Amino acid sequence: MSSSFLDRENTIAPPGYNRFLFPPAALAVHLCIGQAYAFSTFNLPLTKLLGVTHSTPVDWKLTDVGWTFSIAIVLLGLSAAVFGTWVERVGPRKSMFTSALCFGSGFIISAVGIHFHEIWLLYLGYGVLGGCGLGIGYISPVSTLIKWFPDRPGMATGMAIMGFGGGALIAAPLSILLMDHFKSPTSTGVLETFVTMGVIYFMFMMIGVLSARVPAEDWKPAGWVESEHRRPLVTNANVTVDMAWRTPQFWLLWGVLCMNVTAGIGVLGQASPMIQEIFSGKVTPSAAAGFVGLLSLFNMGGRIIWASASDYLGRRYTYMVFFLLGIALYSLVPWFGHLGSRALFVAAFAVILSMYGGGFATIPAYLRDMFGTMNVGAIHGRLLTAWSVAGVLGPVLVNYIRQFQIDHGVPKAQAYSITMYIMCALLLVGFLCNFAMRPVDDKFHYRALGPAPVPAK
Amino acid sequence: MKFRFFVLWAAVLIPLGWGVMKTLQNALKLFN
Repeated sequence: MSSSFLDRENTIAPPGYNRFLFPPAALAVHLCIGQAYAFSTFNLPLTKLLGVTHSTPVDWKLTDVGWTFSIAIVLLGLSAAVFGTWVERVGPRKSMFTSALCFGSGFIISAVGIHFHEIWLLYLGYGVLGGCGLGIGYISPVSTLIKWFPDRPGMATGMAIMGFGGGALIAAPLSILLMDHFKSPTSTGVLETFVTMGVIYFMFMMIGVLSARVPAEDWKPAGWVESEHRRPLVTNANVTVDMAWRTPQFWLLWGVLCMNVTAGIGVLGQASPMIQEIFSGKVTPSAAAGFVGLLSLFNMGGRIIWASASDYLGRRYTYMVFFLLGIALYSLVPWFGHLGSRALFVAAFAVILSMYGGGFATIPAYLRDMFGTMNVGAIHGRLLTAWSVAGVLGPVLVNYIRQFQIDHGVPKAQAYSITMYIMCALLLVGFLCNFAMRPVDDKFHYRALGPAPVPAK
Repeated sequence: MKFRFFVLWAAVLIPLGWGVMKTLQNALKLFN
């Protein structure tokens, strides 16, 4: 069979290649797919496609449009789990290209759906195809980064995954800029914006595709010697993807990620109404949007800072900090609300969201510590199903508990207190999962009897 | 190699910097 430019064997870096050329390739992909966090900027315009200035009875409902993001996040987790072994086998260039095709064409199909006002095309385009682009793109650089940076795996994966947080910071103003540019008395400009963004994102992701390189099999950073005396929870052995999910450690890590994400994602989705209701009359909608932006910044910054710190603290202790500090801050938030202190309230959530981002960015290095580098990308893909579950669980917990309390006569300003204590309980479960972490039993380790293993097709 | 290094990092950091700046402008409204 003829080999193509996209194949792994054609992406092996020559001797002397600067390994710091790979992180921008990974960032190019993650900055694009991070657009998903800013999808809500399209929510209201998508409900006015026919009425243009207002929503008519035949326009799409906000609840219908809201499903698009949920489908995309569920497909992110599912596609990462299903295609993880394929991504590991074909390497970063082909998987990044596939992700670019899925994500870019997802926008174009959605634009066709907007043109014909068929919401199922929006679900199929952005939700299903775009969601697959998200999942494949998210895991495509992870295992290669860990192989390029065996000495600093946390920092390396933190750099890429920071891009996913940063993507929303670019996409939100870019979407507004484009919609303002394309809008007319007869159009909201969303259709043209979707087409433009599909093309821009595809081209930008191609920067990653064209510059992706994998290290040679025996490559090591200059002067770096693998330590014989590793930390207790860092293994020299490898566990295959099919064996990994039979270990208790995989499910403990699944619980760690799921609890950490659930505690953050619900708040992130409700941040704007929450601060306006808790500080009723003191925070305007525009200031609340500023609060959401600030949280996004801390979400992004936490990814690189906490993941880099985990290279020194160790992964287990880093998550201990996330859970214990998270519990302390969540339990203090209702008190900060009663005090009327906006500064303390904002500071608490800024730290919480930095740890939410840090949890995402540190998990690939934690997986590498527990299961080795051999199939780490594929194992990471399967672990991301925890994100899909948390993506549904977090918002449901926050929204329904708030509504239940309001329906039972609790003032809006106090309706979030119980939610905060439930978040503490979730974080406690995560803490216990992390606390129970022990090295993987030898019986699960891969023993080389033949050629190096390639994940099954 | 150095030129490629500079171009690649600039390509990703310039849009990211723009996004961070826009977000900070918005975030300042919280304290006004």
